[in-house]
Amino acid sequence: MTNRAQTDQDSKRKQPKNMPELIRLENVSKCYSSGPTCEVFPLDSVSLELQQGERMILLGKSGSGKSTFLNIVGGVDTPTSGKVFFNSKELTSLSSFDLADYRRKEVGFIFQSFNLFPTLTVGENLTLPLELIGDKDHKKARDLLAAVGLADSWGKFPELLSGGEQQRVAIARALVKNPKLILADEPTGNLDQDTGATILKLIDEVSSMSNASLIMVTHSPDALWIAPKHYRLRSGRLELEPSLN
Amino acid sequence: MTLATLLKFNLRYYKKHSLLALLCLMGISLGVGIVIAVELINGSALASFSASIDFLSGKASHSVVSQYGRIDEKEFRSIWKHPMVSAASPIIDVMATTAETGSDSIRFLGIDPFLDPSFRGWTPQESDDTAFTSLLAGPIPSIYMSEELAQKHNLKPGAHLTLLKAGLEKKILLVGIIRASVSGNLSENLAVMDIASAQELFGRIGRLDRIDLVLRGDPETLRKALPDGLTLADANTRKATLNAMLYSFQLNLAAMSLIALFVGVFLIYNFSMFSVLSRREDMSLLLTLGSDTRGLVGAFITESLLLSAAGSLLGVVFGYLVAHFSISMVSSTISQLYYQVNVGGVHLTVPIVLSGVGVGLVATLIGVILPALEVAVTPPVLGIKRQSIEDRVSSLKKWLLALGTLFFIASVLGAWASRFSIFWGFAAAFGMTFAFALMTPASLSIFTHHLGSVLKRVIGSLIGFLAARNIKASLSRTSIAVAALAVALSMTIGVDTMIYSFRGSVASWLDGSLQGDIYISPDTTKWDHPLPDDLMMKLQADPRVASLEKYSTFDIYINDRLAKLRVLESELLKDKARFHFIEGSEDAWNELPKGSAFISESLSFKSGIRAGEKVRIPTPQGAVEFPVVAVTRDYSSDQGTVQIDRNIYKKLWGDDRVQSIALFLKPGVSTDEVKTSIMNDFRGLEKTVVSNSQMRETVLGIFDKTFAPTATLKGVSLLVGLLGVATAMMAILMERSRDIRVLGYLGLTSGELGRMNIYQGLIMGFSAFLIASVSGTVLTYIIVHAINYRSFGWSIDIRLNPWVFVETLSLTIAACFASSLYPTLKLMKIRTAPTLKEE
Repeated sequence: MTNRAQTDQDSKRKQPKNMPELIRLENVSKCYSSGPTCEVFPLDSVSLELQQGERMILLGKSGSGKSTFLNIVGGVDTPTSGKVFFNSKELTSLSSFDLADYRRKEVGFIFQSFNLFPTLTVGENLTLPLELIGDKDHKKARDLLAAVGLADSWGKFPELLSGGEQQRVAIARALVKNPKLILADEPTGNLDQDTGATILKLIDEVSSMSNASLIMVTHSPDALWIAPKHYRLRSGRLELEPSLN
Repeated sequence: MTLATLLKFNLRYYKKHSLLALLCLMGISLGVGIVIAVELINGSALASFSASIDFLSGKASHSVVSQYGRIDEKEFRSIWKHPMVSAASPIIDVMATTAETGSDSIRFLGIDPFLDPSFRGWTPQESDDTAFTSLLAGPIPSIYMSEELAQKHNLKPGAHLTLLKAGLEKKILLVGIIRASVSGNLSENLAVMDIASAQELFGRIGRLDRIDLVLRGDPETLRKALPDGLTLADANTRKATLNAMLYSFQLNLAAMSLIALFVGVFLIYNFSMFSVLSRREDMSLLLTLGSDTRGLVGAFITESLLLSAAGSLLGVVFGYLVAHFSISMVSSTISQLYYQVNVGGVHLTVPIVLSGVGVGLVATLIGVILPALEVAVTPPVLGIKRQSIEDRVSSLKKWLLALGTLFFIASVLGAWASRFSIFWGFAAAFGMTFAFALMTPASLSIFTHHLGSVLKRVIGSLIGFLAARNIKASLSRTSIAVAALAVALSMTIGVDTMIYSFRGSVASWLDGSLQGDIYISPDTTKWDHPLPDDLMMKLQADPRVASLEKYSTFDIYINDRLAKLRVLESELLKDKARFHFIEGSEDAWNELPKGSAFISESLSFKSGIRAGEKVRIPTPQGAVEFPVVAVTRDYSSDQGTVQIDRNIYKKLWGDDRVQSIALFLKPGVSTDEVKTSIMNDFRGLEKTVVSNSQMRETVLGIFDKTFAPTATLKGVSLLVGLLGVATAMMAILMERSRDIRVLGYLGLTSGELGRMNIYQGLIMGFSAFLIASVSGTVLTYIIVHAINYRSFGWSIDIRLNPWVFVETLSLTIAACFASSLYPTLKLMKIRTAPTLKEE
């Protein structure tokens, strides 16, 4: 059976029509080794296409390579073999400088443990991605903070916020620069069920607003509704989960 | 779980963090090393001096010495015949050099060859053959020389030497050698000659420098019988008198060396705290596996002490090397400023090694107290966040600021209390340094917060903004490093400003004191070698010379304390010199010829005598009370100086010897021309005839040489401070790798991350500099008013030198850049890729 994802099986909801391709992976493999030969294959000849605005869920056991997948797509890691394209531009041929530029402009990361900078205020955390791309207009950041329901928290330090609030700030930080791609690595993993649900709803809303593509790693069955396509990484192979789709 | 098991477990940690451990080890080594170096240097100087006194005293139980600089040889007979005296030997004791032995100073001992052997077995004996005859009645003065000195310059009996006396040459003959087997390990260069020859050769006819005695009964009986102005001193008293002169000099050196160790304590603390915090999970696991808190604390302290012992032993070796290479410089300074010492070398003894290790262990214990408490009181909960430590420091900084303020106030009070004891002066200096260290977390937090905003908004540097905020984010780490560096820098600024101010004050004093066009001032002036009479007569008759001022300085005792008596010509000087009067005024000059005296402020400070009071000066005609009409600023001697008119001196002492001369030339006369003609007429005076500016340079050269050791002390402190910065940056790198990765996810390149790290090092250095600029300036005031004045009795006009600040800043920035390079290279290798899932 080919490992290529079956992109023609569109889901019932949130499936964009006739959108251009955003991400394409061609036979991407990643191996880790302590010697000359590969010992661990978190990714083995993975191929995938994702259109602009399209969403997917990535499932898999711990250590199955989900985060490696996100890192390669996000340009923070490089595959051992294979090619990754973003907007038809081959990421795997880019220099580390250009990859940083790609992350800076095109990708928004949401982490399980929020990873806000404790010494920056909420506002400073939020405007940091904008500053990095030379955008001095902070109105966008304020609007987005209001959109996630934390308009009053602009000058606060993250330590004064609850976990759910911190994750909301983290989501706003990921989206503030209008990235084309959002990569979320278990964004509700550190939150209780109710807060997790709120956060998922928020991710759904704000990514819809910006028409960003979303790849989300999760273990939570409650989060599966956010994307029509569910893939599972098993022994390095990417498989579409037919039963869930 | 046994201590051994825990230690074995912990050893793995040191393997993993070997670089940090090495930096900490170096910090301990440098701190201990510099303390040991100063201890060795001080100890060697005193030991050498003490050995010299013991050796030269021989069997003498006591010596008769004069409080007014000389003993009339007529006194000898009555002392010798005193019923309490079993044996007596008159001595001329004078330092000089010869052309053949170059710069080696030689102690010339004039003895009576028939009386002296009962004191010193090594002086020439009557049974000795022709050499002895030659010593007594040779055609030219003859000497015996110590074997080591003779061998060093390849001199053998029969060799003629050229004695350089006040710059003039006299021929002497080497007739015998004092064997090393009898002179032992004495490093003193020694020449022994007949006392009559010595008196003649050194212009001391009719006088003795001391009389060595073997007493058979109560010394008090003899003491009471001695003429006024002569005192009876045993060897210990003489040692104590001279050691007291060195006390302040050595105390200041020792205190400065402690600064390096003080800075080292910060480094130890930083490393220990890092090692505790980064092992918290391990420790929690060990507790769950059955270890107890006491065991963990014990293991932690033991491993710290083992590290400290290793560092201290390395420090002892380092200290020995520093002492070995700098002992000659320091002993030369002591010889220049106080008395002649010839230190053969430094000797590392078991007590010194133990004291080095002890000092290192104490410093370590101080440094690990808080980290050990951290181990002891933290509950065994897994997964405590690093952030919680920062939160704690963040709330603690207010208390530290308050404590720092209290220390500040206490230090100001300590500085005031220094008038009661110098101890309070040093306590104030250390307290003030510590006060600023305690204020560092709060001030660093505020500064980096605002600096970050300024860098972003005004300069548009996002990287600078992140660097500044990173420092704030790791305040528990960065504030210690910045505080340690600030301590080292404040010492640099404080001491450099003090030296600059001191130099400026000395230069002003020289301007006021040195008014002559030409000076004839041989090196031997300090050894009381009078200038030849014919030189004086010729110069007085020289039509190009407008006037001639004669100087002489002698050792005397004021209130049983050694001081200098300076003889000057007040009629001439009142128009020429511009003395800085602390008390009294220019009118005081008119009182000197009437029998009044000026005293230096150091003498005034040490003896408590003020203008308007009287100073009791011992003279050959008994003690005379001189009204003190002025207290002047005088940096020539920290023992204190009393200045009287030459005519008064002549009358009381019956002596008109001159040691140096200042010439005032008539208008239009060329200085070089007069200099050349003096040198042509008096061969041997080449090096001693100097112009006003050369004289000034010579004095300032001695000043600079005196403070040269401080450069080493400052350098080591600074090095320890910079090791602290490097350690902190490495620690931050390990602790904040998560944040660094997040920045990578947000799109920062490794170059930008590297730049951020360099900026971080630079901002830490700059912050330390800013703190040190304030604390260093405050420290200058404490050093000048509460330490220097209390130690030496010298007041100094404080002048801030912008270059001291510019140089310190440049050095700090360059050094912080250098010490952040390695952590930056490590940072640039951090891969962004590892996931950021768990805290």
